[in-house]
Amino acid sequence: MNRVKLYWILQLLGWGSFAFVNVFFASLSEGISPIQAWAFVALAAYYLLSTHAFRHLVKAFGWFKLGIFRLLIQAILALLALAVVNVLAQILINIAFGTLNPGLDFRSLVIAVNLFVSFLYYAFWFLLYFLFHFLDNYNNSLKYEAKINEIRLNHLKSQLNPHFIFNALNSVRALVDEDPNKAKTAITRISNMLRFSLMMDKKQVIDFADELATVKDYLALESIRFEERLEVIYQVEEEAFAYKIPPMMLQTIVENAIKHGISNLVKGGLIEIKCREGLQEELYIQVKNSGYLNPNPSKNRKDGGGHGIENTRQRLKLLYGDQATFRIFNSGNQFVITEIKIPKQRVTLD
Amino acid sequence: MRAIVIDDERLARKELINLLNQLETVEVVGEAVNVEDAKDKIEQLQPDVIFLDIQMPEKTGFDLLEELDQVPHVIFTTAYDEYALKAFQVNALDYLLKPIEPKRLEEAIQKLQGKIEGISRSSEGGSLANQKKLTLEDQVFVKDGDRCWFVRLSNVRLFESDGNYIKVYFDNFKPMIHKSLNALDERLDEKSFFRASRKHIINLGWVEAIEPWFNGGLVVTLRGGDRIEVSRRQAARFKEMMSL
Repeated sequence: MNRVKLYWILQLLGWGSFAFVNVFFASLSEGISPIQAWAFVALAAYYLLSTHAFRHLVKAFGWFKLGIFRLLIQAILALLALAVVNVLAQILINIAFGTLNPGLDFRSLVIAVNLFVSFLYYAFWFLLYFLFHFLDNYNNSLKYEAKINEIRLNHLKSQLNPHFIFNALNSVRALVDEDPNKAKTAITRISNMLRFSLMMDKKQVIDFADELATVKDYLALESIRFEERLEVIYQVEEEAFAYKIPPMMLQTIVENAIKHGISNLVKGGLIEIKCREGLQEELYIQVKNSGYLNPNPSKNRKDGGGHGIENTRQRLKLLYGDQATFRIFNSGNQFVITEIKIPKQRVTLD
Repeated sequence: MRAIVIDDERLARKELINLLNQLETVEVVGEAVNVEDAKDKIEQLQPDVIFLDIQMPEKTGFDLLEELDQVPHVIFTTAYDEYALKAFQVNALDYLLKPIEPKRLEEAIQKLQGKIEGISRSSEGGSLANQKKLTLEDQVFVKDGDRCWFVRLSNVRLFESDGNYIKVYFDNFKPMIHKSLNALDERLDEKSFFRASRKHIINLGWVEAIEPWFNGGLVVTLRGGDRIEVSRRQAARFKEMMSL
């Protein structure tokens, strides 16, 4: 529900029932004339208006941000002031409705009781108001925490692809007998990848060379698994090594090329990585893989590739604004091309 | 027991076959590299058990099971597949995680051995004449969304056709399989299953009560309360079969 609407509903209900209860009990004890009833309604209306004005004050001076001690003092002073004005207003209302009884109403005891009672009413209102805000804030911050944690978790998952790690280890196990030297190299490569993915998460960008080394380790490991079903070609210009790129971005693209491309083809296929510098100091990274991109991916796929693509787009946007681009498209029926463009200068700073 | 190893990766097959060769009770009679290959080999070699990788190119291990008429015992192998693992755990299907732990493999084989012996004892003396037909002891693989089951046919009380699908009623579940009721009818042992009407095949072992119905038809009540109408034409056959 809209918060403003909720506020007004609670206000009207609260002070409405205040008027109703007062009229009800007054009529029980000594009977009440319609004019007296209207006086109570007017008083309720005054309470509503004065608390509403008080709310403005609380918001305008940012009371929610105050320390507890300062808040208490300010609150008590404000509530006292409200109570005093309220007693005056009660007298004015009584005069206006002609229900004033000077002999009774001006006795100091009656005034003191009125003062005390209205103070209580205001304090009660203030307490509810603050409690509501406190719980609401708490709720929101919990939601925020949950969202942040979810993002972190997804991030972590995308770094370490368990399906890949365990398959690679399984191949290595078989290699130990078949080709011990190859097995040793493979273990080193797995270690490199694990170390890289554990260390990169703090950095926003890393040297192109580091990312490429990881990708090479990764593809070498996948070549052990897929054997003749995977062919890899690199075409990397010297200039590319002058760039910094977001960590795990090329890696993610290549992993997707394996997952959605090569591993779905009985005969396997090709992965080609091209990196070149553009005319205006920008880096083009292009990954071409065998396979076909479904232009209308079905929504119910749980591991849908859309998540990885969306993630990459968001990262590029956060780091480079509109200067970076991301494209993925079919090249004929046989190949899918994924291309990112990254400028040399970043928009945002650490 | 005779085994076939199905995995698209040569090294993964090699690794598993190495492990299996160390066990005396298992003889690896073949290996297959994808679903089509596996279908041929299973038909040809009639293994007792298949070791099945889930993620393979073009068709997954689940697809294979759905395409097989008669499913041998299955032990799934997977490196890491959250959804498959969940399905296995829910339904207590046996699975091995790659790299495979030799001890876990041995346990799985032992468990399977017990199961096979139990079945052969209970079906001893059963006729061999209907070998090609599915008997009550056979199990079928059923997958519905996230969940999958191996269902022993003796637990299935009713098949109901629904468009191009068949609803399989067992326990509290009624998942759908993509098949026609006519094709299924031909595969089922007629001593155990009866085609009650155009829409239904019932398991005779589950019949609890029979009442006459309009036009010379019958209504059969199954254990659990399902009431199925037997068409007039089939009712005559039904009476014939059920009488001495």
